[in-house]
Amino acid sequence: MLHLLTDPFRVVFMQRALLELILLALVSGPCSVFVLLRRRAFMAEALTHTVFPGIAVAFFLGQSLLLGACVAAIASVLLLGVGWRDGRVDHDGFLVVIISAFFAVGVVVVSRGHSFASDLTALLFGKILAVNRAELVATFVIACVVVGLLVVVGKELIAVAFDPVVAVAWGLPVRFLDVVLNVVIALVVVASLKAVGTALVVALVVVPGAIARLCSARIGWMMVIATVSAAVCSWIGLAASYDASLHHGIRLAAGATVVVLLTMTFAMVAAVTAVMRVRDATP
Amino acid sequence: MSRADVALQLDDVTVAFDRDVVLEGVTGTVNAGGSLALIGPNGAGKSTLIRAILGLVPVERGTVTVLGRTPVAARLDVAYVPQGDALDSEFPVTVAQVVLMGRYRRIGWFRRPKNSDRAIAMAALEQVGLAPRAGDRFGILSGGQRQRVLIARAIAQQARLLLLDEPLNGVDATTHDLLLEVLATLRSEGVAIVMATHDLSVAHLACTDACLLNRHQFAFGPIDETLTAPTLRKTYGAHAVLLAGDSTIVMPR
Amino acid sequence: MKHFLDVMSTALMHRALLEAVLVGALCGAVGVHVVLRKQPFFALTVAHATFPGVVLAEIAGLSFLVGGAATASLVTIAVFVGSRDPRFDSNTVVGIVLSGTFAAGVLLLSARAGGAKDLSAFLVGSILTVDHRDIVATLFAGGVIVLLLAAFHKEFVFGALDPVGARASGIPSAIDLLMMLLIASAVVVALPVVGTMLSVALLTVPALAARLWADRVTSTVAVSAAIGAASGVIGLCVSAQFQIAAGGAIALSACAVFVVSLLIAPRSPFAQHVRHGLRQLGATGRSRLDVRGDA
Repeated sequence: MLHLLTDPFRVVFMQRALLELILLALVSGPCSVFVLLRRRAFMAEALTHTVFPGIAVAFFLGQSLLLGACVAAIASVLLLGVGWRDGRVDHDGFLVVIISAFFAVGVVVVSRGHSFASDLTALLFGKILAVNRAELVATFVIACVVVGLLVVVGKELIAVAFDPVVAVAWGLPVRFLDVVLNVVIALVVVASLKAVGTALVVALVVVPGAIARLCSARIGWMMVIATVSAAVCSWIGLAASYDASLHHGIRLAAGATVVVLLTMTFAMVAAVTAVMRVRDATP
Repeated sequence: MSRADVALQLDDVTVAFDRDVVLEGVTGTVNAGGSLALIGPNGAGKSTLIRAILGLVPVERGTVTVLGRTPVAARLDVAYVPQGDALDSEFPVTVAQVVLMGRYRRIGWFRRPKNSDRAIAMAALEQVGLAPRAGDRFGILSGGQRQRVLIARAIAQQARLLLLDEPLNGVDATTHDLLLEVLATLRSEGVAIVMATHDLSVAHLACTDACLLNRHQFAFGPIDETLTAPTLRKTYGAHAVLLAGDSTIVMPR
Repeated sequence: MKHFLDVMSTALMHRALLEAVLVGALCGAVGVHVVLRKQPFFALTVAHATFPGVVLAEIAGLSFLVGGAATASLVTIAVFVGSRDPRFDSNTVVGIVLSGTFAAGVLLLSARAGGAKDLSAFLVGSILTVDHRDIVATLFAGGVIVLLLAAFHKEFVFGALDPVGARASGIPSAIDLLMMLLIASAVVVALPVVGTMLSVALLTVPALAARLWADRVTSTVAVSAAIGAASGVIGLCVSAQFQIAAGGAIALSACAVFVVSLLIAPRSPFAQHVRHGLRQLGATGRSRLDVRGDA
């Protein structure tokens, strides 16, 4: 049984894929806990869509996709950081306009190219098995930056998430902290592009934190659980997609397999904890 | 009295939102170890005055001086306990973590809480009688216990001025008595207290001075001189009901 | 220009225009409720959730409408139930369901032999391939949606403005579920026009723009439907002229209308700020002149 989980990783490209996904788990785990606490799931989704035109333009111009993604991420973080405080067009509405506009620009740019369908697929869903050494290094650098930022502002972010009113009274720069969190989310999104693509990356920054919250109400433990669940799902998902295509003739997209596993884990943990709650309640 | 003993100095403080004057001409001082009750009906500007002292709303006219500095410069030495139950009861923090948050601004960016910070937080929790609950999740506490934790967070901040918005609203009898005791202890240590309340008995029990507000200031001074039937009637208008003798009942709006 | 006129005069283009107008108007009308209920993220999720259904229907040889409607309804119910857990805000639940269903669609598609050739049509629409049956389906579904919107109008509006009060006055929470299902239906109907990724644009942006022009719910619905239909026509023309993806062009047209509304609409906060600023500038300019006059 265990060899199903180890055998696939004798191949170099599978080792690289696993290393990439574990690096991502190390950043997306803690990041997803902050996304949950500060209620930024929608913002995370918005950033995944707004990064898309950057990649599309870079692809079209033959530039580095990572560069394009970074430019688009910075632009959208700044735009969304300006924020919106008005009753008629609320913050979520403002986000949707930006999402729609950015994503539509991406689609329009890609549609001007020659191989529209296959290009769109690669950009949206990633190609984890084609990760190369340079991309691994880039992911590592981004991971270091993300962990560094979270260490610097972590306790302040938690204080703001818990009690925004008093945080303002203490003089904590709430808006600046939110921009930092947006930068962190954007960096995780950019780093995950190759692995799961823009359309699925939101899973990495939302689901692990939610799994962790089901298991624990301690922030420290939640970070550990989120990271471990992301890493384990990546491992099993990669192995499963490899095994399915090699031995059963079913091609399963690796990135999508990982994401499906993550959401299934959430559903299972939710079911188990719900049953345990009911059992605790009825003596 | 030397300037160092003045915790809060208000001088003709006037606040306006979009040219709508919501608070006008508040003038008075609170000394170190003193305590001021802000009294007035809902919408009188009590919370606005507190926000002005915190430097969260700009004053249109006049000055707010906190511990000899501007409100923004004095923030580290000002603790604030807001009104009510607005906090997310499912938020995954322990009671001890909430109290420790009171230390965060003193700890500063980058650094993690030290053992001395944890000791101060535990002592504050001890003071409000909740040390045995330190490891529990904040959300499972009762309303009165949560209020005690938030006061402990303010104590842990080791501020020189404590601002409270309706601190004893809807708390149980134990919490009520315990918090009055805690506030008295803090004052004996030289902490100045400003609390917004519309409970006159709380004002009498906890405060030496009172400021009667309804858009503008009706009285400011020692509580026995200011909390009188005529000034209350002026402040509350038709909502004050005079009973036999000198006691006034204020009908909350 | 001649090429443009040639393209616009084909029967294919006429069908596409008709479909764009119908879907644009329908999404505009439903979108007002999406915006009132602050559920744009939910609309986004339902749009993503149609994806596995569309792929399944394609494999089974069924109409995409059937598959899309099936998974969209399932997900709607999952979000409705899951949002009741107090530990998570609804956006977190929505985010989990969104990524899970979308990944399931990608998995199904990758497992199917033949790979990704039709993917772009699902994702960003293929309005130029709509036929008569699609238009009839749109008309039918749109008619049902509009009828339900009209029948339960006051309950929907009450529930959006004051959920607790609506519950207290005896309006069942099933009305919220019905609204979510209507949003899901509109998303499915919009699939051939703008695809899964961009249907949220038609479902929210016209309504957001309309709020800047109108201040009653009914008039907002009318303005929003008009903006939706206009976005469909403008986007289609632009896409024919510059040979770009129609779905993207339609979404961008809606966004352009929003930006224009932001600049000139009477109720736009931005326009109000500018007017206020100009007035103040005028006032200070005058007072400066006065001072100079005194000196």
